[in-house]
Amino acid sequence: METSALSALGELLGKRLHTSLETRTCYAIDATRKKFLPDAVAFPENAEEVRRIVGLANLHRFPVVPRGAGTGFSGGSLPVHGGLVLSLERMDRILAIDAANLYAVVEPGVVTGTLKDAVRKAGLFYPPDPASLNFSTVGGNIAECAGGMCAVKYGVTRDYVLALEAVLGTGELVRTGVITMKGVVGYDLTRMLVGSEGTLGIVTKATLRLIPHPETVTTLLALFPDNRRSADAVNAIVAARVTPSAMEMMDRTAIDCVRETIPVDLPEGTRSALLIEVDGGELSAARDADRLEEACRSCGAIEVRRASDARGRDELWKLRRSISPALRRVGAVKMNEDVVVPRSRLADMFDFLADLSARKRVTIVNFGHAGDGNVHVNIMISGTDLEEYRRAEEAVEEVFRGTLAFGGTITGEHGVGIVKAPFLEMEVGPAGVSVMKRLKECFDPNGILNPGKIFMEEKAGPA
Amino acid sequence: MKNDALKEMAGLCAKCGTCRTVCTLYPHRKTENAAARGKVLILESALSGENADPSAVQEAMADCLLCGRCERICPNLVLYEEIVMKARADLADEVGVPAWKSVLFGKVMPSDPAMRVLRKAGAAAERLFLKKVPTGSGLHYRFPLGFLGGGRTVPKLPAKGFIESLGKREGSFGEAMLFVGCVFDHLYPDVGRAAYETMKASGKAVSVFRGAACCGLPALVSGDRKSALENIEANLRRLREAAPPAIVFPCGSCLLMFKRNIPMLFPEGTPPHEDAAFVAGRSTDYASFILDSGVVDRLPDPPPAERPGEIGYHDSCHLTGTLGKGPEARRVLEKAVGGAFREMEGADLCCGYGGTFNIRDYPTSARIGENKVSVAARGGTRIISAACSGCVLQMRDMAARTDPSLRVVHIAELVRRALS
Repeated sequence: METSALSALGELLGKRLHTSLETRTCYAIDATRKKFLPDAVAFPENAEEVRRIVGLANLHRFPVVPRGAGTGFSGGSLPVHGGLVLSLERMDRILAIDAANLYAVVEPGVVTGTLKDAVRKAGLFYPPDPASLNFSTVGGNIAECAGGMCAVKYGVTRDYVLALEAVLGTGELVRTGVITMKGVVGYDLTRMLVGSEGTLGIVTKATLRLIPHPETVTTLLALFPDNRRSADAVNAIVAARVTPSAMEMMDRTAIDCVRETIPVDLPEGTRSALLIEVDGGELSAARDADRLEEACRSCGAIEVRRASDARGRDELWKLRRSISPALRRVGAVKMNEDVVVPRSRLADMFDFLADLSARKRVTIVNFGHAGDGNVHVNIMISGTDLEEYRRAEEAVEEVFRGTLAFGGTITGEHGVGIVKAPFLEMEVGPAGVSVMKRLKECFDPNGILNPGKIFMEEKAGPA
Repeated sequence: MKNDALKEMAGLCAKCGTCRTVCTLYPHRKTENAAARGKVLILESALSGENADPSAVQEAMADCLLCGRCERICPNLVLYEEIVMKARADLADEVGVPAWKSVLFGKVMPSDPAMRVLRKAGAAAERLFLKKVPTGSGLHYRFPLGFLGGGRTVPKLPAKGFIESLGKREGSFGEAMLFVGCVFDHLYPDVGRAAYETMKASGKAVSVFRGAACCGLPALVSGDRKSALENIEANLRRLREAAPPAIVFPCGSCLLMFKRNIPMLFPEGTPPHEDAAFVAGRSTDYASFILDSGVVDRLPDPPPAERPGEIGYHDSCHLTGTLGKGPEARRVLEKAVGGAFREMEGADLCCGYGGTFNIRDYPTSARIGENKVSVAARGGTRIISAACSGCVLQMRDMAARTDPSLRVVHIAELVRRALS
């Protein structure tokens, strides 16, 4: 960035513009662990400041990279071309919770878990629940269209965004969407902005749909002798006309990892597990839980455990929650993909991944949101063996090719960012890429907003 | 800056950001620099040579209360607290520690006579220069604005410390020995006395570790490894010789030092590590001793509480968070004060003291602490009990700042009241 640009930003933001190497270092990464140093970090406190920052960016032509909590897995908030990281973490107010009309108005830096807790106190429910909900922000979730455990029943972030206020790449402040239940005025700019990874606009305010909070939750842990039987159970549950609020699957490698790390009480022969939740009124949740248990047993479950109280449910979640720390045992570096296949192809996908792991001689640990066909494929490597790294990269590409062959998509909830940019065209084709690029030009003619994301660029490379 | 072991420890951080949710400092700074993930990034950049300004890195590492909350929530089990302490030590070797710290930690705190002189000089100075303020927990003095943080209150310094007040009686080390710690010896001798007297109610032969050096925690967390080791080695040598069956700590931070930090400083298999492990194995917290030695069973049934639920218990980061010693104090309180005890709002919130952090950035330390005591008071607590010297010191200051009728006591004081 030019000195004149930094001076102009300094005049606008004062002490809320940081240029020290220490702060720039802190904002150079996200959960991908890839590192790109920005030239400066800005901490705006309102939409007008964001608008003026984008105005300066157009004048001085520096990149502006919006950032929530930096928890993304696809590099969406990495300043790959340097420039300014625009941290929205200080715009973190919940402006309104409207229980009569079932919506909340929030600033982008509100932590998702904080919002969920706040609306819960009013008896309401904001369903999106990415695994990072206690630290990721609503703005970041909107930018990446975050999903979560309960997408199988409630959908993802996109399904709860009613209206947005955003600063476009042109510096214009737009208000999109409606706060009413219905509204079809013109193009759906709200949906355009959700999942656009900060490449079209910077969200400065969001109106989010709320629903009544379910009365009770019952959790079941079903243990199976192999992945195919738990995948069959997923389909049997769907056939039983029950929609669980979460349905998580863990494969043998994931279970073995946990077993080596913490004492978990599992019966002999457990090679796959399904963690399922049903919610709703007390009677309906109990009836659904009975049907689920029956479906799991009919598919060969070794054991089905069940709990409705907080302590018992926590105990059942222990296995799922312990996977992440346990993964360290099988590899220091994790390549974390989030592919989705049609639910009926889950068993085929798991077979394919087991075969791929053997062929490429890399450990692949799979778990994820089986209810919606979203599999977290974790390729674990040492990070010090170049040849192993090459094989892992080949495996990643094969995972994507395999997923598309099953009729799936290469990202269910992490977004394209820089990690999946090389594979975008593989899924959407040249015409799809072309129209997306033309849209980008329309929203951001000078290409200042989050450059280097979604679309392949030759120049992008680590700092 | 080079340290391969540190690089490896920091490298385990997955940069997921989970630590931001629990960081005591992050809500007040609202920059990544405050949380563990940011600290690790700054450290890695120094270790890789990208950041060649050790003073700036030292400044970044100093901005942490070492409450350990990040370490306990980390899904990758990264030892952030240890990383920050090791980094501080390496950086101190490289750029030094402030002169006042090395004199205080290296010369004054290892020496009991020097500590007495310091306390007496302080007592004279406070009467001359500071303003008296009556508070719920006794008379305090307030610093004038601008000096060491505006509005800070300090205890009225006693003419004699706890150990000094015991006179020259010297027994054997007995069955249980009290390691009273600097704060409860010199600043709040009555707390030291309460711990001593209630321990004696066990019927065991109780002694006091006289002439103990400071546990070394202030020096260690400041990176002053040399001063810390001087204190530690002096204490270890004497404790190993005396070999009391139980060493009782009324302060969670001193206990953490003996239980975890000191053994961590020496390589396994070396004689100092064996001494440290020997002492660690016999070290226990005050509440556990009161339970295990039967004092609790000798307490009369508490009278029906005049004000049910007015007494709460504060979980100190080191004692409960790191060492997991929380249920013991609650069991003691249930027996000592009965219905007056009720689980306190925000019991596990950090008090914001953070040892030297309180001196480094008093305004932030005070904001964290004021929130702590205000949350407790809003929940109906009128007496906050605790079992860590730093927390008692900080929360008494915060009570004086926010609500002078709010009292902060050590659990030993409540046990003594029950016994009497």
